[in-house]
Amino acid sequence: MRAQFVLQEIWIGLRRNLTMTIALVVTVAIAMALFGTGVLLKMQVDKSNNYWSDKVEVSVYLCNKLSANPACQKKEPSQSDKDAIKNQLQSMPQVASVAAETQAQAYQRAKDRFKDTPGFSDTIQLGDIPDSFRVKLKDPKQYAAVVAQMQGRQGVDQVINERAILEKFFKILGGLQWAALIIAAIQVVAAVLLVANTIRLSAFNRRRETGIMRLVGASNLYIQLPFVLEGAIAGLIGGIFAAVLLGFSKVFLLGRLTRNLQFATELGWLDVTQVIVFSVCFGVVLCSLASFLTLRRYLKI
Amino acid sequence: MIHFDNVTKVYSHQGRPALQGVNVAVEKGEFVFLVGPSGSGKSTFLRLILKEERPTQGGIHVAGKELNKLTNWKIPHLRRRIGCVFQDFRLLPNKNVNENVAFALEVIGKPRRFIRKVVPEVIDLVGLEGKGHRMPDELSGGEQQRVAIARAFVNRPMILLADEPTGNIDPATSIGIMKVLDRINRTGTTVVMATHDAAIVDAFRKRVVELEDGRVVRDQSRGVYGQAYGGV
Repeated sequence: MRAQFVLQEIWIGLRRNLTMTIALVVTVAIAMALFGTGVLLKMQVDKSNNYWSDKVEVSVYLCNKLSANPACQKKEPSQSDKDAIKNQLQSMPQVASVAAETQAQAYQRAKDRFKDTPGFSDTIQLGDIPDSFRVKLKDPKQYAAVVAQMQGRQGVDQVINERAILEKFFKILGGLQWAALIIAAIQVVAAVLLVANTIRLSAFNRRRETGIMRLVGASNLYIQLPFVLEGAIAGLIGGIFAAVLLGFSKVFLLGRLTRNLQFATELGWLDVTQVIVFSVCFGVVLCSLASFLTLRRYLKI
Repeated sequence: MIHFDNVTKVYSHQGRPALQGVNVAVEKGEFVFLVGPSGSGKSTFLRLILKEERPTQGGIHVAGKELNKLTNWKIPHLRRRIGCVFQDFRLLPNKNVNENVAFALEVIGKPRRFIRKVVPEVIDLVGLEGKGHRMPDELSGGEQQRVAIARAFVNRPMILLADEPTGNIDPATSIGIMKVLDRINRTGTTVVMATHDAAIVDAFRKRVVELEDGRVVRDQSRGVYGQAYGGV
């Protein structure tokens, strides 16, 4: 195998087909970037899901004098009522543990959390957040029974299931992920068709050469390798552009997401690098395979 | 060297066979003219030798190999033992004479040192001394055909197939081409040449195989172009 000869043939092929090659590179880049973004979003969802699944709680807020719920009649429940609620929670089979949070603790926690937004933290007053029970569940998915029993119970203002809020967030991410993957799939189809067309043109352009190669007994590998490598190189260049786009997508999409949404756990560069390597390999394999299959049709042995 | 054993070839899209029950044996070192009108099956005969086509019936042996049993990936090795020359030269217009000839060796992976040694030799053999750096469009038709012959012969094939090699060349130049083919034949290479050129066949007095409607109608040593059934 003479590497120089093969490389020269590839170079001629790519140059003669410059416009098609550019179209191919762009398509592959977009396809792989979207594919990678889809995978990154999926990893983001999984990671956040894992991170949060053992931290989500059901919060049971008790009535106090500010409660809007008419059942509360603007009255705080008595200590015995609170104990009864706590006992009832603890006796539920789904419940792992129950922690009480007093108004004072809740006030302090809110002050801490919003200390970066003074306008907000200054207006919080003791009693804005009522006493509550933080209920940890054995299985976070089994919240329905707990919520049903607590909702409307005497002395309970409202029951907030944090998981329901998280699920909304995950749903949005999941939607983004699927949108990216579907567009990527369409782009992959376009890329395959473009590869087929590029290689067909290339085979047509070089039909003299390949005809002579066939006649003088060049092996199929020798005849086909320049075409397959042509596809592979276009795939690789596309993949490199995709890697750059994925880098952007990590910094701007996921980075912004984690900064603005407290639920998101940041993905590390290691994860992103894995996705990039995988996308590039996928692009190269896809293009090589498409070239090879096209050749079987247009290059008679 | 080339044995056709009752070979019939039918192309699927036309009813009439291109070759019908052809029995021909060409031995090592022979020079054979293949004559006959257009459509008589000459090209099919040559294509069958290269296994570019498969016979519908019958067996073909080329260079000691039974083509029906030759697997697809071994076809290149068969073709390395056969050189081909065509009416239309089939040179690469963007390569000079040396590069055109070297191409045939490059694509079968010969080492560069070997190529550098044998290409000038074969260019001298076909009578193109000093023209190695010309481009094909700077050469006359006869010279271009010499380049094509050099390319076909550079790997020292056992068989040289020529499909109307003088078809695009004037009679005076054709004689020169024939002398080159004769020289190659004298090195022990079997030559099969399909042609319409009566003058050349008559002048060279080699074995003549005449095809008509896919059948061998004459097989004559030291024959002439003539007419079917013995002629002259």
